[in-house]
Amino acid sequence: MLHLRMDRRASDNVYLHKDFHNALNLAIQYLSDNFGEEGVKDYLRFFARNYYSILKADLMQRGLIALEEHYRKIYDLEGGDVTIERTEDPDELTITVRVCPAVEHIRKLGTPLAPNYEWTTSVVHETICEDTPWRAEFSNWDPQTGASIQRFVRKEAKK
Amino acid sequence: MISCTEFIPSYSLLFTWLENKVDYDEVVRYWEYLGRISTGKLEAAVKEKGLFGCWEYWKAALNEEAADFVMEIHINEDGTGYLASDMRYCPSMGRLLEYDHFEPHHDYCAHCDVIYPIVLDKYGIRSAPRTLDVQRAACAISLHMDEPPAPEVAAAGWQAALKELENAEAEAITAWVD
Repeated sequence: MLHLRMDRRASDNVYLHKDFHNALNLAIQYLSDNFGEEGVKDYLRFFARNYYSILKADLMQRGLIALEEHYRKIYDLEGGDVTIERTEDPDELTITVRVCPAVEHIRKLGTPLAPNYEWTTSVVHETICEDTPWRAEFSNWDPQTGASIQRFVRKEAKK
Repeated sequence: MISCTEFIPSYSLLFTWLENKVDYDEVVRYWEYLGRISTGKLEAAVKEKGLFGCWEYWKAALNEEAADFVMEIHINEDGTGYLASDMRYCPSMGRLLEYDHFEPHHDYCAHCDVIYPIVLDKYGIRSAPRTLDVQRAACAISLHMDEPPAPEVAAAGWQAALKELENAEAEAITAWVD
């Protein structure tokens, strides 16, 4: 008989299990199949209102720097091809995604991207911005690469 | 983008959403769906290498998830044997317990008991009842291959186990043969 024993502490590794991107993709597929588009949106709003409540509180207190720091931390860890830009206007934040690490990984696994997968960004951003002075914009979505342009601006500002 | 490091809250909140929207049975139906369609990597490993495929699958997953665990496999050349996992601190449940701004799903841990046996049973791998200490994010489980799998599966698993034995020291794995 052959015996193997592996003993690991949490501190031995970095927490980065990219297959979880596909798990979320499968969740969106399930919701789409069983609850339709409104079900997908309703769940994403429910998730964002609960999980991102602390981020939203930080946004209200410190402004868009809260979102900038959040996304810099995430993309530094996850990789991809992403530019996060601020202008002189403190009420403008643009995230230009040329290759999304989540979509890149899902494609690598060979799993079809769920319908409306991009709502995991756009609907979540809109929900975070609810009842704040900012609004979220989402454009130039490419389901092959996950490319998109994500902007946060003052609600009264011109596009 | 929802980061993969934020998936676990989204997962737990999905269980809550499904239960609020329909009922608990709907949550179980969702886990069964995952057992059918989200276990491709595990199924490929087990189909090719039997019980040793479980070792390879969870070795990769638990390290990527930065789990605090001990995992052992005791395997014979004919493919029979068992794998035991002592999860000292589950990275998923542990994270959920650390959040205080939303409630984890009340039966979060049960998803493991539904999802994995669906694929393991197909290949003759029996899951023993799991011991669970939710408040400590700890659990222990063992998987048993009681009957030898097809000879080619046993051979592939044994060869892979021997290779792991060769590399054990470099990977800080304790290994021995008797």
